[in-house]
Amino acid sequence: MTTQTDNGQAVTEKPAISVKSLDFYYGEHKALRNISMDFARRKVTGMIGPSGCGKSTLLRVLNRMYDLYPGQRATGEVVFDGRNIIGQGIDLNRLRARVGMVFQKPTPFPMSIYDNIAFGVKLHEKLSRSEMDGRVEDVLRRVALWAEVKDRLKASATALSGGQQQRLCIARTIATRPEVVLLDEPTSALDPVSTARIEELLDELKKEFTIAIVTHNMQQAARCADQVAFFYLGELVEMDSTDRMFTAPRETRTQDYITGRFG
Amino acid sequence: MTRPNETHRPSQAVAVDGWKVNSSLAMRRRLMDRLATVLSISATAVALIALGSILFTLIIRGAGGLSLITFTHSTASPGLNGGLANAIVGSLIQTAVSILIGAPIGMMCGIYLADYGRGWMASTTRFVSDMLLSAPSILIGLFIYELVVVPTGQFSGLAGSLALAILALPIVVRTTEDMLRLVPVSLREAGIGLGASKWRVILFICLRAARTGVLTGVLLAVARVAGETAPLLFTSLGNLDWSVSLTRPMASLPVTIYQYAGSAFDDWVQLAWTGALLVTVGVLIINILVRVGFGRKGA
Repeated sequence: MTTQTDNGQAVTEKPAISVKSLDFYYGEHKALRNISMDFARRKVTGMIGPSGCGKSTLLRVLNRMYDLYPGQRATGEVVFDGRNIIGQGIDLNRLRARVGMVFQKPTPFPMSIYDNIAFGVKLHEKLSRSEMDGRVEDVLRRVALWAEVKDRLKASATALSGGQQQRLCIARTIATRPEVVLLDEPTSALDPVSTARIEELLDELKKEFTIAIVTHNMQQAARCADQVAFFYLGELVEMDSTDRMFTAPRETRTQDYITGRFG
Repeated sequence: MTRPNETHRPSQAVAVDGWKVNSSLAMRRRLMDRLATVLSISATAVALIALGSILFTLIIRGAGGLSLITFTHSTASPGLNGGLANAIVGSLIQTAVSILIGAPIGMMCGIYLADYGRGWMASTTRFVSDMLLSAPSILIGLFIYELVVVPTGQFSGLAGSLALAILALPIVVRTTEDMLRLVPVSLREAGIGLGASKWRVILFICLRAARTGVLTGVLLAVARVAGETAPLLFTSLGNLDWSVSLTRPMASLPVTIYQYAGSAFDDWVQLAWTGALLVTVGVLIINILVRVGFGRKGA
């Protein structure tokens, strides 16, 4: 919306999502402690840390996915578009259309490539046949899948390769025109070539979407993210621009993790 | 057979020569292996021979009576050259109606158990359904007799269908629940993550992903109820004449076989054999359909 300084830090622009004093519980177990952080608008925020540190949990708070499971609850504040989304009275279906999610394993629905994309769109918008065709083509082009599948849109999506499936899932997610896209280790099940294509894609997507990506891959965080948050044992240890995090972290725990001394 | 101290012997032998093994131990193992193989092969052979002889006898005795008349004429008095048309059509109608009633209810119940049910309500439902699965089918016939036949004062095809539906129900419940549970959580979350409501995710994603398994369950239920005799004895009763009315007694292949097989008339006994062949072939075709048509996911 407004300007940025040349070192890449958003100064005046309001963050897309603002997390304040967030605690999260799996039953009795406290998985997140007092997290406060901002997800900068149209930036890629990378979330790193050892397994079980709470980074995926935080991601699942941002679209209230945890609501599916009784016994999981969050306290604190997560402000998105002026409202606390973990509070009462939030239309969860609407929230999930605005905050989309891509999962670790590609999850194509057991239907055609076309219908995979149309499924989500139909939930929220009434489009004519030609408008839908246009939307499907548009998102498939943006994930660089159009050329590969344009002749077999009616074919089953499950027949695609893993990398193609994951790009289809990204296309499906952005087809509902979200503002935020959450990615939970989106390339950990993919080969290096597919991974590279998804990473290239992120650069394109951040022009339009705010992106939060959980990754176990340090290089990926360094390559893709504008800012990086390091989590450890349910706490946010430190968060800074990617350059600073990987060159001059303030915390020794961050330093140790990034250099592979633990994790 | 191995005692703890024996387990160390081979390694000692190995220490002497890498290829040489304690020969008496090796010999005994080889013998045990042979014995186990022979035993399991003969067990399989016994089962196959039993099945083969049933099929063989059925074909030899049943196929002889097979003619166009079997399909075009209803059962008739001895010596009048009757067929099985009323029993065949009666079986088809009652099986179809029972599946039309039992399958949707069973599927909905399976969905409830897999996706909504929690606590005592769900575990009780599951327990009762599993009990129903192994309940004696004659009991279900009696149940419908008390519930439908007595109040209406009439044996009827509908009563027979209801009894069969109760038999089909637990089969469909179990397979639907099992198949839905096999759908990966990630697929549900992906649907929810797009902003779809729970019922939409279940109906359009999970059920679609599990469709071959669910359909297999329905077909297995068809195969099961098509051959049932006991639940029909006090419900649809049987009918010597042609009738397709659900409110009147209705003939069926299993009941006709039951009535004719023990009769003193040669042509009735012949019809019973032919009917048995038809039921068996029908059920066999359904089972083959399940296995071939749905390949890997078949039961």
